[in-house]
Amino acid sequence: MKEKTQIGDIDRSLYDFRYEENEGDFLDSGITPEIISEISDEKNDPDWMREFRQKSLSIYNRTPMVSWGPDISGLDVDRIVTYIRQKSRMNTDWESVPEDIRQTFEKLGIPQAERESLAGVGAQYDSELVYHNVRREVAESGVVYTDLESAMHDPKYAELIRSHFMKLVPPTDHKFAALHGAVWSGGSFVYVPKNVHLDIPLQSYFRLNAKGAGQFEHTLIILEEGSYLHFIEGCSAPKYYEAGLHAGCVELYVGKGATLRYSTIENWSKNMYNLNTKRALVQENGRIEWVSGSFGSHVSYLYPMSILNGHGASAEFTGITFAGEGQNLDTGAKMIHNAPETSSYMNTKSISKSGGISTFRSAVVVNENAAGSKSSVNCESLMLDGISRSDTVPAMDIKTDKCDVGHEARIGRISDEAIFYLTSRGLSEEDARAMIVRGFADNVSKELPLEYAMEMNNLIGLEMHGSIG
Amino acid sequence: MQMEKTMLNILPVPTFSWLGVNGSEHTVKQYETAYISADDGIARLDVQEGSSYKLSVAENQRSTVILYNNSDSSTSFEVNVSAADGSDVKLVEVFDSKAETVTKVRAELGTRARFSLVQLYLGGSGTVSEIAVEQGARSEFTADIAYELRGKDRLDLNLLTEQSGRKSTSRIDVRGVLSGEAFKIFKGTIDFKSGASGAKGEEREDVLMLGGSAVNKTVPLILCAEEDVEGSHGASIGRVDEKQVFYMRSRGIPEDKILALLAQSRTDRVIRLIGDSVTEQRIKASLGRGEEDE
Repeated sequence: MKEKTQIGDIDRSLYDFRYEENEGDFLDSGITPEIISEISDEKNDPDWMREFRQKSLSIYNRTPMVSWGPDISGLDVDRIVTYIRQKSRMNTDWESVPEDIRQTFEKLGIPQAERESLAGVGAQYDSELVYHNVRREVAESGVVYTDLESAMHDPKYAELIRSHFMKLVPPTDHKFAALHGAVWSGGSFVYVPKNVHLDIPLQSYFRLNAKGAGQFEHTLIILEEGSYLHFIEGCSAPKYYEAGLHAGCVELYVGKGATLRYSTIENWSKNMYNLNTKRALVQENGRIEWVSGSFGSHVSYLYPMSILNGHGASAEFTGITFAGEGQNLDTGAKMIHNAPETSSYMNTKSISKSGGISTFRSAVVVNENAAGSKSSVNCESLMLDGISRSDTVPAMDIKTDKCDVGHEARIGRISDEAIFYLTSRGLSEEDARAMIVRGFADNVSKELPLEYAMEMNNLIGLEMHGSIG
Repeated sequence: MQMEKTMLNILPVPTFSWLGVNGSEHTVKQYETAYISADDGIARLDVQEGSSYKLSVAENQRSTVILYNNSDSSTSFEVNVSAADGSDVKLVEVFDSKAETVTKVRAELGTRARFSLVQLYLGGSGTVSEIAVEQGARSEFTADIAYELRGKDRLDLNLLTEQSGRKSTSRIDVRGVLSGEAFKIFKGTIDFKSGASGAKGEEREDVLMLGGSAVNKTVPLILCAEEDVEGSHGASIGRVDEKQVFYMRSRGIPEDKILALLAQSRTDRVIRLIGDSVTEQRIKASLGRGEEDE
């Protein structure tokens, strides 16, 4: 007789551990001019940044909440701790990192990954970077990989930061961009000089350990003409009952003929509101490649935007979203064609299970000046049960006749025939389903470095465990 | 006649505000009810301003209604279709007015009911058109829509079909041509409700953009709260296929004629689906298309 597997809790023990925090390190929750000043004091902001933060706060106060997308009424920003004081100075060797923090990153496998396959690593714990290091030969090639605050205070980069910081994502963009402008802390600055190719990736990992806190890191990457970089971003947090907030910001400047690959495996805990903004400006014949895996958080709003601003610029977005119990993940991408002969390609997969809600949302805009441009969007959604939800909300706004824009979307379920075939070959039904879902996600996993592809496969394995009720 | 301001063409799931596709405010009049009877036959009507047409088709009955709007002044009207179990209803609407038009079709389909909607938009300085269909079990809904917009024509078209019934099917086929400074929004939503197991829905839009500074916005949604469904949507927007043009030019057809033919093919397909020679001749006369164009 066949036994049914009961729906079980997802095993997130890999990410779901935590260390006690000293709440004396927390600034008061809420967002007031005084708290913003205190953050500026803590970080020794230059005058322009002090002013920028206060201006952003006033924009935040007058900007309404978004009028579309998943419900975020459970997020009370006034109860979020926006800044947690630095526990230690930023280090360039793991031995100098405080024991509990080092243990956290050891468990997440970051030092090991650094030794085996990365050109440099940045690790942020709550509000500040605790570790940043880059291989000597990479540094010698002129590549700069450091935390944003250090770069802002370094005379060599101060002006570069000032002229690029929140220029792509201005605080007026939306309410949480304004919030980010006011309270941002941590994040990475990467500068790749002309014609320098980094063959192995850099990685920043963001860990939010504190309860009821927010993380607002800012990533700024500038690629000069003809350069290449693969940047990997990882993020996770342990689960609390209190809501947490991630409102990071990523600004990417891709120079003429340069290529940037930006990979993210996002695995925030399921009490987190992930309201992140990512944007790339791509110049002539430049290329941005986004690879995005969204597995965690309670609610996500995440739509990386590529602004193709130079002749022949191109963008590709490959993404997978897996929404399980208690999750409402609203993800996708935006492509803005703003120059002739530009091209964009979007390929996404969404999976919904155990009452999870997955929404694919996109925008393709082809402006009048983008003659000869091409865009293709392909999205597929898989429903794993009848209590979940999957929506696709794409939009195309085309302002020139000299373009080719295509869009295809499909939604469906795992066919009984496929399950029957695999079970007749000896697989359990659960394994058969997991195998089909991994195959469904294959286009994303094959775009990731091997160890991240394995992590993603493991995540799917965890999510699928006990999925047959 | 009373006027009131109201939001029309609301996208069932709103998206990025800056795209300007979530809905728009319009002034509409309060309608006066007019009943249409077309028991087992064809009813042809010229649209009367401010009318709310009621079309109720009894069980297992068949009915075809053709509404033609060629008013010189702005027009508001709506059509409410009630298709009882097993009925077969065809509604044809021809929008052949240069003035502003606000219109709505609401349809409720009973078990195994069939509803075929054929719409042709031949310009108009501001047409706002909303279609809302509720589908019962094993019902079938098809929409074949074509538009030809030139100059400063504007069309805002919002179609929603809610598939609540088991094994219901929908097929939405929209084709059109934009030139000059024409502006068009098409929002098409297939909404699979919980319990619609075995339902299928497909949606496609094909937009040909012929020069000028026309703007096209396409927003094809699939909303799904049921596991056992199959849904798909596709869109193709852009210029004339260069291979097609090359082939036809190599056969001696001048380029302007080729473009006209490609544009015409989109509306001709829908004109043929009307299935009423009287209306077809009326449309062709309005478009200045003689027999030699066929």
